[in-house]
Amino acid sequence: MEFDRKFLLLCGSEVLVVAAGNLAAALILQVIVLAAFLGDRRGYPVFAAAAILFAAAVYAVGSIALLGLAVALGCGYLALTLYDYRLVRWAAGEP
Amino acid sequence: MIRPTRTTGGIAALALALAVVALPLANPAAALAAGSLALFLFWRAWRFERDLFAAATSLAVNRDVDRTILRQGAAATVRVRVDLVTPPGMEIRVRDIPPAVASGGAPLSLPGKAAAYTIRLMAPGETAFGGVVLLASDAFFTRDLACRRPNAPHLRVFPVGTTENGRGTGAGMGDAEVDRRAALAGQGIRGFRPYRSGDDPGQIDWKVSARRDTYYIRQLTGLEGGTPLIAVDLPPRAGDDPATFARFSMAVCGAVEGAITSRDGCSLLVVAGGEVVRFLPRTLDIREALAALGGLAPLEPRAPLYRAPGPAVLAGRARMNGRGAGPEEKTYLARFASVISAFTKQSPAPFAAAVRAAFGRAEASEVRIYSLLAPGDKSHLIQLAREAKVRGMRVVLRAPAGAGTIPGVDAVEVL
Repeated sequence: MEFDRKFLLLCGSEVLVVAAGNLAAALILQVIVLAAFLGDRRGYPVFAAAAILFAAAVYAVGSIALLGLAVALGCGYLALTLYDYRLVRWAAGEP
Repeated sequence: MIRPTRTTGGIAALALALAVVALPLANPAAALAAGSLALFLFWRAWRFERDLFAAATSLAVNRDVDRTILRQGAAATVRVRVDLVTPPGMEIRVRDIPPAVASGGAPLSLPGKAAAYTIRLMAPGETAFGGVVLLASDAFFTRDLACRRPNAPHLRVFPVGTTENGRGTGAGMGDAEVDRRAALAGQGIRGFRPYRSGDDPGQIDWKVSARRDTYYIRQLTGLEGGTPLIAVDLPPRAGDDPATFARFSMAVCGAVEGAITSRDGCSLLVVAGGEVVRFLPRTLDIREALAALGGLAPLEPRAPLYRAPGPAVLAGRARMNGRGAGPEEKTYLARFASVISAFTKQSPAPFAAAVRAAFGRAEASEVRIYSLLAPGDKSHLIQLAREAKVRGMRVVLRAPAGAGTIPGVDAVEVL
Protein backbone atom coordinates (compact mmCIF):
# COMPACT_ATOMS: atom_id res chain seq x y z
CA MET A 1 0.00 0.00 0.00
CA GLU A 2 2.92 2.27 0.81
CA PHE A 3 4.39 1.60 -2.58
CA ASP A 4 1.08 2.35 -4.26
CA ARG A 5 1.12 5.75 -2.59
CA LYS A 6 4.65 6.32 -3.86
CA PHE A 7 3.53 5.33 -7.34
CA LEU A 8 0.65 7.81 -7.19
CA LEU A 9 3.13 10.48 -6.14
CA LEU A 10 5.31 9.53 -9.10
CA CYS A 11 2.32 9.89 -11.43
CA GLY A 12 1.58 13.33 -9.97
CA SER A 13 5.21 14.34 -10.34
CA GLU A 14 5.23 13.25 -13.97
CA VAL A 15 2.32 15.61 -14.56
CA LEU A 16 4.47 18.38 -13.09
CA VAL A 17 7.39 17.37 -15.34
CA VAL A 18 5.19 17.52 -18.44
CA ALA A 19 3.73 20.85 -17.29
CA ALA A 20 7.18 22.35 -16.78
CA GLY A 21 7.36 23.28 -20.45
CA ASN A 22 11.07 24.04 -20.33
CA LEU A 23 13.17 20.95 -21.18
CA ALA A 24 15.95 21.79 -18.69
CA ALA A 25 13.46 22.27 -15.85
CA ALA A 26 11.71 19.05 -16.84
CA LEU A 27 15.02 17.19 -16.78
CA ILE A 28 15.97 18.48 -13.33
CA LEU A 29 12.52 17.70 -11.97
CA GLN A 30 12.55 14.22 -13.47
CA VAL A 31 15.96 13.35 -12.00
CA ILE A 32 14.89 14.59 -8.56
CA VAL A 33 11.52 12.79 -8.71
CA LEU A 34 13.02 9.44 -9.67
CA ALA A 35 15.76 9.78 -7.05
CA ALA A 36 13.08 10.37 -4.44
CA PHE A 37 11.25 7.31 -5.69
CA LEU A 38 14.25 5.09 -4.99
CA GLY A 39 15.38 3.71 -1.66
CA ASP A 40 18.83 2.65 -2.78
CA ARG A 41 20.57 5.14 -5.08
CA ARG A 42 23.73 3.18 -5.90
CA GLY A 43 24.70 3.87 -9.50
CA TYR A 44 22.10 6.62 -9.85
CA PRO A 45 24.58 9.01 -11.56
CA VAL A 46 24.79 6.53 -14.43
CA PHE A 47 21.07 6.83 -14.97
CA ALA A 48 21.22 10.62 -14.55
CA ALA A 49 23.93 10.82 -17.23
CA ALA A 50 21.81 8.71 -19.60
CA ALA A 51 18.79 10.94 -18.92
CA ILE A 52 20.88 14.05 -19.70
CA LEU A 53 22.03 12.47 -22.98
CA PHE A 54 18.44 11.65 -23.87
CA ALA A 55 17.36 15.21 -23.00
CA ALA A 56 20.07 16.47 -25.35
CA ALA A 57 18.74 14.19 -28.09
CA VAL A 58 15.17 15.45 -27.52
CA TYR A 59 16.45 19.03 -27.65
CA ALA A 60 18.25 18.30 -30.93
CA VAL A 61 15.68 16.28 -32.86
CA GLY A 62 12.45 16.64 -30.89
CA SER A 63 10.02 13.97 -29.76
CA ILE A 64 11.13 11.64 -32.53
CA ALA A 65 14.11 10.82 -30.31
CA LEU A 66 11.71 8.50 -28.51
CA LEU A 67 11.82 6.16 -31.50
CA GLY A 68 15.62 6.10 -31.41
CA LEU A 69 15.45 5.39 -27.69
CA ALA A 70 13.03 2.52 -28.31
CA VAL A 71 15.48 0.97 -30.77
CA ALA A 72 18.38 1.46 -28.35
CA LEU A 73 16.39 -0.07 -25.49
CA GLY A 74 15.47 -2.99 -27.72
CA CYS A 75 19.18 -3.64 -28.31
CA GLY A 76 19.79 -3.18 -24.59
CA TYR A 77 17.09 -5.73 -23.83
CA LEU A 78 18.83 -8.23 -26.11
CA ALA A 79 22.12 -7.57 -24.32
CA LEU A 80 20.38 -8.02 -20.97
CA THR A 81 18.87 -11.31 -22.14
CA LEU A 82 22.30 -12.52 -23.21
CA TYR A 83 23.73 -11.50 -19.84
CA ASP A 84 20.90 -13.36 -18.09
CA TYR A 85 21.51 -16.43 -20.25
CA ARG A 86 25.20 -16.42 -19.33
CA LEU A 87 24.26 -16.03 -15.66
CA VAL A 88 21.92 -19.03 -15.83
CA ARG A 89 24.57 -21.13 -17.58
CA TRP A 90 27.15 -20.13 -15.00
CA ALA A 91 24.75 -20.96 -12.16
CA ALA A 92 24.05 -24.34 -13.76
CA GLY A 93 27.77 -25.08 -13.66
CA GLU A 94 28.26 -24.98 -17.41
CA PRO A 95 31.30 -23.27 -18.89
CA MET B 1 14.48 -14.05 -17.31
CA ILE B 2 13.67 -11.43 -14.75
CA ARG B 3 10.01 -10.75 -14.06
CA PRO B 4 8.62 -7.25 -13.52
CA THR B 5 6.72 -6.40 -10.36
CA ARG B 6 3.44 -4.51 -10.28
CA THR B 7 5.31 -1.25 -9.73
CA THR B 8 7.37 -1.84 -12.85
CA GLY B 9 4.23 -2.56 -14.84
CA GLY B 10 2.73 0.70 -13.58
CA ILE B 11 5.82 2.72 -14.53
CA ALA B 12 5.91 1.10 -17.98
CA ALA B 13 2.24 1.97 -18.48
CA LEU B 14 2.95 5.53 -17.36
CA ALA B 15 5.86 5.78 -19.83
CA LEU B 16 3.67 4.47 -22.62
CA ALA B 17 0.92 6.97 -21.82
CA LEU B 18 3.43 9.82 -21.82
CA ALA B 19 4.85 8.63 -25.15
CA VAL B 20 1.35 8.54 -26.62
CA VAL B 21 0.92 12.16 -25.49
CA ALA B 22 4.41 13.24 -26.61
CA LEU B 23 4.47 11.93 -30.16
CA PRO B 24 1.27 13.46 -31.63
CA LEU B 25 1.54 16.70 -29.62
CA ALA B 26 5.30 17.04 -30.20
CA ASN B 27 5.74 17.86 -26.51
CA PRO B 28 9.46 17.61 -25.63
CA ALA B 29 8.84 17.52 -21.85
CA ALA B 30 6.46 14.57 -22.20
CA ALA B 31 8.95 12.86 -24.52
CA LEU B 32 11.68 13.40 -21.93
CA ALA B 33 9.47 12.04 -19.16
CA ALA B 34 8.48 8.97 -21.20
CA GLY B 35 12.02 8.26 -22.36
CA SER B 36 13.60 8.77 -18.96
CA LEU B 37 11.08 6.42 -17.34
CA ALA B 38 11.93 3.75 -19.93
CA LEU B 39 15.63 4.36 -19.33
CA PHE B 40 15.01 4.17 -15.60
CA LEU B 41 13.41 0.74 -15.89
CA PHE B 42 16.21 -0.53 -18.11
CA TRP B 43 18.82 0.76 -15.67
CA ARG B 44 17.01 -0.94 -12.78
CA ALA B 45 16.86 -4.21 -14.72
CA TRP B 46 20.59 -4.02 -15.40
CA ARG B 47 21.27 -3.22 -11.74
CA PHE B 48 19.11 -6.15 -10.68
CA GLU B 49 21.03 -8.60 -12.87
CA ARG B 50 24.38 -7.27 -11.62
CA ASP B 51 23.28 -7.54 -8.00
CA LEU B 52 21.97 -11.05 -8.56
CA PHE B 53 25.26 -12.09 -10.11
CA ALA B 54 27.15 -10.59 -7.16
CA ALA B 55 24.91 -12.47 -4.73
CA ALA B 56 25.28 -15.75 -6.67
CA THR B 57 29.09 -15.49 -6.72
CA SER B 58 29.16 -15.07 -2.94
CA LEU B 59 26.98 -18.15 -2.41
CA ALA B 60 28.20 -20.71 0.13
CA VAL B 61 26.09 -23.75 0.97
CA ASN B 62 26.62 -25.89 4.02
CA ARG B 63 24.45 -28.98 3.67
CA ASP B 64 24.43 -31.79 6.18
CA VAL B 65 22.54 -35.09 5.78
CA ASP B 66 22.19 -37.42 8.73
CA ARG B 67 22.91 -40.46 6.51
CA THR B 68 24.62 -40.53 3.14
CA ILE B 69 24.24 -44.29 2.61
CA LEU B 70 20.66 -45.35 2.99
CA ARG B 71 17.99 -47.67 1.75
CA GLN B 72 15.39 -46.93 -0.91
CA GLY B 73 12.39 -45.27 0.66
CA ALA B 74 14.20 -44.48 3.90
CA ALA B 75 13.86 -40.97 5.30
CA ALA B 76 16.86 -38.71 5.64
CA THR B 77 16.99 -35.40 7.45
CA VAL B 78 18.75 -32.59 5.64
CA ARG B 79 20.05 -29.47 7.36
CA VAL B 80 21.09 -26.71 5.05
CA ARG B 81 22.46 -23.27 5.65
CA VAL B 82 23.07 -20.85 2.80
CA ASP B 83 25.29 -17.83 3.22
CA LEU B 84 25.55 -15.06 0.68
CA VAL B 85 26.03 -11.33 0.46
CA THR B 86 22.67 -9.68 -0.09
CA PRO B 87 23.04 -6.40 -2.01
CA PRO B 88 21.25 -3.37 -0.55
CA GLY B 89 17.66 -3.02 -1.73
CA MET B 90 17.43 -6.66 -2.70
CA GLU B 91 15.66 -9.39 -0.77
CA ILE B 92 16.82 -12.95 -1.26
CA ARG B 93 15.33 -16.18 0.00
CA VAL B 94 16.73 -19.60 -0.72
CA ARG B 95 15.30 -23.05 -1.23
CA ASP B 96 17.31 -26.24 -1.35
CA ILE B 97 16.76 -28.58 -4.32
CA PRO B 98 16.50 -32.20 -3.16
CA PRO B 99 17.78 -35.01 -5.39
CA ALA B 100 15.63 -35.71 -8.44
CA VAL B 101 14.59 -39.11 -7.12
CA ALA B 102 13.56 -37.78 -3.71
CA SER B 103 10.10 -37.05 -2.47
CA GLY B 104 9.62 -34.19 -0.07
CA GLY B 105 10.32 -30.52 -0.56
CA ALA B 106 12.59 -28.05 1.12
CA PRO B 107 11.23 -24.96 2.85
CA LEU B 108 12.12 -21.42 1.95
CA SER B 109 14.68 -19.88 4.24
CA LEU B 110 16.61 -16.67 4.66
CA PRO B 111 20.34 -16.52 3.98
CA GLY B 112 22.34 -17.21 7.11
CA LYS B 113 19.51 -19.18 8.71
CA ALA B 114 19.60 -22.97 8.86
CA ALA B 115 16.65 -24.95 7.53
CA ALA B 116 15.86 -28.61 8.10
CA TYR B 117 13.63 -30.91 6.11
CA THR B 118 13.10 -34.60 5.43
CA ILE B 119 13.38 -36.44 2.15
CA ARG B 120 12.76 -40.00 1.05
CA LEU B 121 14.86 -41.37 -1.77
CA MET B 122 12.72 -43.45 -4.08
CA ALA B 123 15.24 -44.92 -6.48
CA PRO B 124 18.45 -46.82 -5.88
CA GLY B 125 21.84 -45.67 -7.09
CA GLU B 126 24.12 -42.71 -6.65
CA THR B 127 22.40 -39.39 -6.43
CA ALA B 128 23.14 -35.83 -5.43
CA PHE B 129 21.32 -32.67 -4.50
CA GLY B 130 20.22 -30.35 -7.24
CA GLY B 131 21.74 -27.21 -5.76
CA VAL B 132 19.80 -24.29 -4.37
CA VAL B 133 17.32 -21.83 -5.82
CA LEU B 134 17.77 -18.15 -5.08
CA LEU B 135 14.50 -16.25 -5.06
CA ALA B 136 15.64 -12.67 -5.47
CA SER B 137 13.42 -9.63 -5.58
CA ASP B 138 13.62 -5.88 -5.30
CA ALA B 139 11.02 -3.17 -5.76
CA PHE B 140 11.09 -3.57 -9.55
CA PHE B 141 12.02 -7.12 -10.53
CA THR B 142 12.03 -10.70 -9.29
CA ARG B 143 14.03 -13.70 -10.45
CA ASP B 144 14.45 -17.35 -9.45
CA LEU B 145 17.97 -18.58 -10.14
CA ALA B 146 18.87 -22.25 -9.75
CA CYS B 147 22.51 -22.62 -8.72
CA ARG B 148 23.46 -26.22 -9.44
CA ARG B 149 27.06 -26.16 -8.25
CA PRO B 150 26.59 -26.76 -4.53
CA ASN B 151 25.23 -30.32 -4.80
CA ALA B 152 27.25 -32.11 -2.10
CA PRO B 153 26.98 -34.49 -0.36
CA HIS B 154 26.43 -37.39 -2.74
CA LEU B 155 24.01 -40.03 -1.52
CA ARG B 156 24.11 -43.75 -2.10
CA VAL B 157 20.77 -45.55 -2.10
CA PHE B 158 20.39 -49.31 -1.89
CA PRO B 159 17.32 -51.01 -3.33
CA VAL B 160 14.67 -52.47 -1.09
CA GLY B 161 15.26 -56.17 -0.46
CA THR B 162 19.03 -56.07 -0.90
CA THR B 163 21.51 -55.68 1.88
CA GLU B 164 24.39 -53.30 1.49
CA ASN B 165 26.82 -56.03 0.51
CA GLY B 166 24.47 -57.15 -2.27
CA ARG B 167 23.99 -60.71 -1.04
CA GLY B 168 20.22 -60.58 -0.99
CA THR B 169 17.53 -60.43 1.62
CA GLY B 170 18.51 -61.98 4.90
CA ALA B 171 21.92 -62.96 3.61
CA GLY B 172 23.74 -62.15 6.77
CA MET B 173 24.67 -59.60 9.34
CA GLY B 174 25.80 -56.53 7.49
CA ASP B 175 26.07 -52.97 8.62
CA ALA B 176 23.14 -52.04 6.40
CA GLU B 177 19.93 -50.55 7.64
CA VAL B 178 17.05 -52.69 8.85
CA ASP B 179 15.79 -54.65 5.88
CA ARG B 180 12.15 -54.29 6.65
CA ARG B 181 9.74 -55.18 3.87
CA ALA B 182 7.92 -52.13 2.68
CA ALA B 183 4.17 -51.93 3.04
CA LEU B 184 3.86 -51.32 -0.67
CA ALA B 185 5.48 -53.76 -3.07
CA GLY B 186 6.81 -52.45 -6.35
CA GLN B 187 5.66 -55.23 -8.66
CA GLY B 188 2.62 -57.44 -8.24
CA ILE B 189 1.85 -61.01 -9.29
CA ARG B 190 -0.53 -61.33 -12.17
CA GLY B 191 -0.90 -65.09 -12.02
CA PHE B 192 0.80 -68.47 -12.13
CA ARG B 193 1.67 -70.90 -14.89
CA PRO B 194 3.35 -74.32 -14.98
CA TYR B 195 7.12 -74.30 -14.88
CA ARG B 196 8.84 -74.64 -18.23
CA SER B 197 12.43 -75.53 -18.91
CA GLY B 198 14.54 -72.38 -18.86
CA ASP B 199 12.35 -70.49 -16.40
CA ASP B 200 13.98 -68.76 -13.48
CA PRO B 201 13.79 -71.18 -10.52
CA GLY B 202 13.64 -68.16 -8.26
CA GLN B 203 10.16 -67.46 -9.59
CA ILE B 204 8.75 -70.83 -8.50
CA ASP B 205 5.87 -70.36 -6.11
CA TRP B 206 6.24 -73.15 -3.61
CA LYS B 207 2.82 -72.87 -2.06
CA VAL B 208 0.98 -73.21 -5.36
CA SER B 209 3.43 -75.90 -6.50
CA ALA B 210 2.76 -77.93 -3.36
CA ARG B 211 -0.99 -77.56 -3.74
CA ARG B 212 -0.95 -78.63 -7.42
CA ASP B 213 1.82 -81.14 -7.06
CA THR B 214 3.75 -79.66 -9.95
CA TYR B 215 6.01 -76.67 -10.29
CA TYR B 216 4.28 -73.35 -10.86
CA ILE B 217 6.04 -70.06 -11.41
CA ARG B 218 4.84 -66.60 -10.59
CA GLN B 219 4.02 -64.31 -13.49
CA LEU B 220 4.81 -60.76 -12.55
CA THR B 221 2.67 -57.95 -13.83
CA GLY B 222 5.46 -56.64 -16.03
CA LEU B 223 6.23 -59.93 -17.78
CA GLU B 224 3.35 -60.36 -20.19
CA GLY B 225 2.27 -58.61 -23.32
CA GLY B 226 4.14 -55.69 -24.87
CA THR B 227 5.80 -52.89 -23.03
CA PRO B 228 3.41 -51.64 -20.37
CA LEU B 229 2.25 -48.09 -19.94
CA ILE B 230 2.37 -46.89 -16.37
CA ALA B 231 -0.15 -44.15 -15.72
CA VAL B 232 0.35 -42.18 -12.53
CA ASP B 233 -2.58 -40.19 -11.16
CA LEU B 234 -1.24 -37.40 -8.95
CA PRO B 235 -3.54 -36.82 -5.98
CA PRO B 236 -4.81 -33.32 -5.17
CA ARG B 237 -3.18 -31.31 -2.42
CA ALA B 238 -6.30 -31.30 -0.26
CA GLY B 239 -6.00 -33.96 2.42
CA ASP B 240 -2.49 -34.78 1.31
CA ASP B 241 -0.63 -37.12 3.62
CA PRO B 242 3.15 -36.92 2.97
CA ALA B 243 3.78 -40.45 4.22
CA THR B 244 1.08 -41.95 1.98
CA PHE B 245 2.35 -40.02 -1.01
CA ALA B 246 5.91 -41.12 -0.26
CA ARG B 247 4.82 -44.76 -0.27
CA PHE B 248 2.84 -44.14 -3.45
CA SER B 249 5.91 -42.59 -5.15
CA MET B 250 7.98 -45.53 -4.03
CA ALA B 251 5.51 -48.02 -5.48
CA VAL B 252 5.48 -46.13 -8.79
CA CYS B 253 9.29 -45.94 -8.92
CA GLY B 254 9.50 -49.63 -8.11
CA ALA B 255 7.00 -50.48 -10.86
CA VAL B 256 8.86 -48.39 -13.43
CA GLU B 257 12.18 -49.87 -12.43
CA GLY B 258 10.76 -53.39 -12.50
CA ALA B 259 9.13 -52.88 -15.89
CA ILE B 260 12.33 -51.52 -17.41
CA THR B 261 14.65 -54.14 -15.98
CA SER B 262 12.35 -57.09 -16.69
CA ARG B 263 11.11 -56.11 -20.14
CA ASP B 264 11.84 -53.97 -23.14
CA GLY B 265 11.16 -50.74 -21.31
CA CYS B 266 7.92 -49.02 -20.47
CA SER B 267 6.04 -45.83 -21.12
CA LEU B 268 5.15 -43.36 -18.43
CA LEU B 269 2.13 -41.08 -18.30
CA VAL B 270 1.57 -38.72 -15.38
CA VAL B 271 -1.84 -37.08 -15.09
CA ALA B 272 -3.40 -34.72 -12.59
CA GLY B 273 -7.12 -34.17 -13.00
CA GLY B 274 -7.85 -33.53 -16.65
CA GLU B 275 -4.28 -32.63 -17.48
CA VAL B 276 -1.35 -34.65 -18.78
CA VAL B 277 1.59 -33.53 -16.63
CA ARG B 278 4.33 -35.68 -18.14
CA PHE B 279 4.61 -38.32 -20.82
CA LEU B 280 7.62 -40.47 -21.59
CA PRO B 281 7.07 -42.94 -24.42
CA ARG B 282 8.83 -46.32 -24.62
CA THR B 283 11.92 -45.66 -22.59
CA LEU B 284 14.66 -48.12 -21.79
CA ASP B 285 16.64 -45.65 -19.74
CA ILE B 286 15.88 -46.07 -16.07
CA ARG B 287 17.55 -42.78 -15.20
CA GLU B 288 15.39 -40.94 -17.69
CA ALA B 289 12.25 -42.59 -16.31
CA LEU B 290 13.14 -41.85 -12.72
CA ALA B 291 14.08 -38.29 -13.64
CA ALA B 292 10.61 -37.92 -15.17
CA LEU B 293 9.15 -39.11 -11.88
CA GLY B 294 11.44 -36.90 -9.82
CA GLY B 295 9.95 -33.92 -8.10
CA LEU B 296 6.38 -35.12 -8.46
CA ALA B 297 4.10 -33.88 -5.73
CA PRO B 298 0.37 -33.67 -5.11
CA LEU B 299 -1.03 -31.22 -7.58
CA GLU B 300 -4.22 -29.25 -7.59
CA PRO B 301 -6.05 -30.06 -10.87
CA ARG B 302 -5.87 -27.07 -13.17
CA ALA B 303 -8.22 -28.46 -15.80
CA PRO B 304 -11.02 -30.32 -13.99
CA LEU B 305 -13.29 -32.38 -16.18
CA TYR B 306 -16.38 -31.84 -14.01
CA ARG B 307 -17.36 -35.51 -14.24
CA ALA B 308 -17.47 -35.45 -18.03
CA PRO B 309 -17.71 -39.05 -19.23
CA GLY B 310 -15.47 -38.48 -22.25
CA PRO B 311 -15.92 -39.25 -25.93
CA ALA B 312 -15.42 -43.02 -25.59
CA VAL B 313 -18.32 -43.34 -23.15
CA LEU B 314 -20.51 -41.02 -25.18
CA ALA B 315 -19.80 -43.00 -28.33
CA GLY B 316 -20.78 -46.16 -26.45
CA ARG B 317 -24.05 -44.59 -25.37
CA ALA B 318 -24.73 -43.44 -28.92
CA ARG B 319 -24.46 -47.03 -30.08
CA MET B 320 -27.15 -48.24 -27.68
CA ASN B 321 -29.70 -50.29 -29.55
CA GLY B 322 -33.29 -50.43 -28.52
CA ARG B 323 -33.59 -54.18 -28.50
CA GLY B 324 -36.87 -55.20 -26.92
CA ALA B 325 -38.06 -51.60 -26.73
CA GLY B 326 -41.27 -50.19 -28.09
CA PRO B 327 -41.41 -47.95 -31.17
CA GLU B 328 -41.53 -44.77 -29.07
CA GLU B 329 -38.54 -45.81 -27.07
CA LYS B 330 -36.67 -46.71 -30.26
CA THR B 331 -37.43 -43.29 -31.70
CA TYR B 332 -36.29 -41.67 -28.48
CA LEU B 333 -33.08 -43.73 -28.45
CA ALA B 334 -32.38 -42.86 -32.10
CA ARG B 335 -32.77 -39.16 -31.36
CA PHE B 336 -30.73 -39.48 -28.22
CA ALA B 337 -27.98 -41.28 -30.16
CA SER B 338 -27.92 -38.57 -32.84
CA VAL B 339 -27.67 -35.84 -30.18
CA ILE B 340 -24.90 -37.70 -28.38
CA SER B 341 -23.04 -38.33 -31.66
CA ALA B 342 -23.26 -34.67 -32.59
CA PHE B 343 -22.10 -33.67 -29.12
CA THR B 344 -19.19 -36.12 -29.26
CA LYS B 345 -18.07 -34.69 -32.60
CA GLN B 346 -18.38 -31.11 -31.40
CA SER B 347 -16.77 -31.63 -28.02
CA PRO B 348 -13.00 -31.06 -28.20
CA ALA B 349 -12.23 -33.32 -25.16
CA PRO B 350 -8.53 -32.30 -25.07
CA PHE B 351 -7.65 -34.67 -22.23
CA ALA B 352 -9.07 -37.71 -24.02
CA ALA B 353 -7.30 -36.61 -27.21
CA ALA B 354 -3.99 -36.23 -25.35
CA VAL B 355 -4.40 -39.65 -23.72
CA ARG B 356 -5.29 -41.18 -27.08
CA ALA B 357 -2.18 -39.68 -28.64
CA ALA B 358 -0.07 -40.94 -25.74
CA PHE B 359 -1.49 -44.45 -26.12
CA GLY B 360 -0.75 -44.28 -29.82
CA ARG B 361 2.89 -43.43 -29.20
CA ALA B 362 3.32 -45.87 -26.34
CA GLU B 363 2.07 -48.87 -28.37
CA ALA B 364 1.41 -50.65 -25.09
CA SER B 365 -0.81 -53.66 -24.62
CA GLU B 366 -1.49 -52.90 -20.99
CA VAL B 367 -1.99 -49.78 -18.95
CA ARG B 368 -1.36 -49.85 -15.23
CA ILE B 369 -3.01 -47.02 -13.42
CA TYR B 370 -1.43 -46.03 -10.12
CA SER B 371 -3.77 -43.90 -8.11
CA LEU B 372 -4.61 -43.13 -4.51
CA LEU B 373 -8.22 -42.69 -5.68
CA ALA B 374 -8.63 -39.52 -3.67
CA PRO B 375 -12.23 -38.44 -3.02
CA GLY B 376 -13.69 -36.22 -5.69
CA ASP B 377 -13.88 -36.25 -9.44
CA LYS B 378 -12.39 -39.39 -11.01
CA SER B 379 -13.66 -38.74 -14.51
CA HIS B 380 -10.10 -38.35 -15.84
CA LEU B 381 -9.34 -41.91 -14.74
CA ILE B 382 -12.60 -43.14 -16.26
CA GLN B 383 -11.74 -41.42 -19.54
CA LEU B 384 -8.24 -42.89 -19.42
CA ALA B 385 -9.55 -46.41 -18.80
CA ARG B 386 -12.18 -46.09 -21.53
CA GLU B 387 -9.65 -44.85 -24.07
CA ALA B 388 -7.47 -47.83 -23.19
CA LYS B 389 -10.37 -50.21 -23.69
CA VAL B 390 -11.14 -48.65 -27.06
CA ARG B 391 -7.59 -49.59 -28.09
CA GLY B 392 -8.06 -53.10 -26.73
CA MET B 393 -5.60 -52.61 -23.89
CA ARG B 394 -5.77 -54.39 -20.59
CA VAL B 395 -6.38 -51.99 -17.71
CA VAL B 396 -5.01 -52.72 -14.28
CA LEU B 397 -5.72 -50.36 -11.43
CA ARG B 398 -3.39 -50.26 -8.44
CA ALA B 399 -4.94 -48.41 -5.57
CA PRO B 400 -4.88 -48.57 -1.77
CA ALA B 401 -7.03 -51.20 -0.12
CA GLY B 402 -10.59 -50.03 0.39
CA ALA B 403 -10.20 -47.04 -1.91
CA GLY B 404 -12.73 -48.45 -4.36
CA THR B 405 -12.37 -48.75 -8.10
CA ILE B 406 -13.39 -47.13 -11.35
CA PRO B 407 -15.48 -48.55 -14.18
CA GLY B 408 -13.72 -50.20 -17.08
CA VAL B 409 -10.75 -51.78 -15.32
CA ASP B 410 -9.90 -55.45 -15.83
CA ALA B 411 -8.12 -56.00 -12.54
CA VAL B 412 -7.62 -54.12 -9.32
CA GLU B 413 -4.45 -54.68 -7.34
CA VAL B 414 -3.77 -53.38 -3.89
CA LEU B 415 -0.94 -50.93 -3.53
